[in-house]
Amino acid sequence: MTGRFWDGAVDALARAAMWILAIGAIAGATHLVSILAMPRLAPQDAYARVAAVAPTNRVALLPEGWGAQSPSPAGLFPRAAAPFEDPALVRGVCLYDLAKGPVRLIANPEPERLLLLSFHSRRGDVYYSMTDRSATRGHLEALLFSPEQQDDVEANDSDDELPRELRIVSPTPQGMAIISALAETAGAKADARARVAGVVCGLDRDMAKQAAN
Amino acid sequence: MVLVFKSILVALVGVALGLAITFKSVERGVGFEAVHVGPWTGWPKSGAREADPYARAARARSGEIPLGITEGLAFIAGQDSAGAPLNSRCDAVLAGATPPARFWTLTATTPDGRFFDSPANRREFTSSEVVRDATGAFSVDIAAAARPGNWLPVAPNQAFQLVFRLYDTPASASAFTLEAAQMPTIARGRCA
Repeated sequence: MTGRFWDGAVDALARAAMWILAIGAIAGATHLVSILAMPRLAPQDAYARVAAVAPTNRVALLPEGWGAQSPSPAGLFPRAAAPFEDPALVRGVCLYDLAKGPVRLIANPEPERLLLLSFHSRRGDVYYSMTDRSATRGHLEALLFSPEQQDDVEANDSDDELPRELRIVSPTPQGMAIISALAETAGAKADARARVAGVVCGLDRDMAKQAAN
Repeated sequence: MVLVFKSILVALVGVALGLAITFKSVERGVGFEAVHVGPWTGWPKSGAREADPYARAARARSGEIPLGITEGLAFIAGQDSAGAPLNSRCDAVLAGATPPARFWTLTATTPDGRFFDSPANRREFTSSEVVRDATGAFSVDIAAAARPGNWLPVAPNQAFQLVFRLYDTPASASAFTLEAAQMPTIARGRCA
C-alpha cells in the first residue's frame, strides 16, 4: 500500500520536474533569442533618434535635450532623447549614407581644445574614434566608404603621393559620425557650438566640386 | 487534450519568463565586461564592435550614444564608497584622486539618465571649473540645498546617480587595471 503511494509520488514528482525543465528550456531559448535580436528590433536606438532630427550627409548640431517627447515630471528636465548625455558636451552629427558615394569629413580643431570624433555603424557599434590629437598641423580629414567602394577610391590614387586623408571603411552603408566639443565652463557653450558647426561633412564628389570652384 | 493544454501553458510561461529576464537584464544594463572600481562601474567596451550581446541590447534599447574608446570612458555610481545607495536625503561628497585625462566631468542624474532641473542652472562640473585648494585637491558637494564651494544640485528626496566621465584618457586602454585609489571617493555628507 505504502509502496504504491510512494511510486505515485515519485511519478508525479518526475512529471513535474519534466514540465519545469521544459519551462526553463523555453525561457532560456526565448531570453537568448530576444537579447541577440534586440539591436535589430529596438526601434528607438540612437541612430533612429538622431535620424529623426538630423539631415543626411551634412553636419547638424544636436539641440540640448533634443527630441524630448514625453512631458517631464515635476522637477526634472524633459526625458532626454538620448539618455546619459554629458551636459558639458556639445554634440553634432553627420548622418551619412554611402549609397551615392564616399563621404568626406573635414575638421580644423583648435589646439588644446577638446574635439571628439566617433563613427557609429547603423547597428550602433563605434567602429572608429579619435580626438583632435589625430590632427596634423591643425587639419583632420577622413574619407568614409563602404567595402565595395574601396577599389574605386584606391583607383584614383597617385603612385607617388600618400593620401592626405584618413581612410575609414564603414561596416554598414549608413551610419553616423558624432562630433563632440567640450564646453570647459558654462560660458564656453557658444564657443563649443561654433567649433562643432565648423566641422564639414558631405558627399566626396560634391566637396571636390566645391574645392575646384 | 490535457497534454496539449499543458504543453501550450508551459510554452507560454516559458516565453513570458524568458522575455521578463531579457527585459530585466536590459533595464539594469548588465554586461559581462563591466569594470568595478570602488563605487564606480564602467563599460569600456560598451560602444565597441566586440561588446557583449547584453551591452549591445541595453545600448539599442536605451538609445544612448556610447563613447568610442579613444574619446573617453564613463563611470556610473549608484552608491557611495560605503555601499549605501545615493539618495538626496543625504549629501554626497566626492573627493580624492582622478585618473590621468585631458578633462573630466561630473554629472548627477536620475537612475534612468535624466537631468535634474537645477535652480542654479548647474548640471555638471568639469575639471576646468572645479574650485581647488592650494594643494590642488578638490571636493564636490552633491546636495539638494545650496552648499558653499563646489555644489552640484539634485532634486530633494530622490535616488540619484553620479556619472564621472574621462575624456581623452589613457585609462580607456587600461580600464581593467584601474584601482580604487585612482578614482574619486563618494562619502555620505550631512543628512536632512
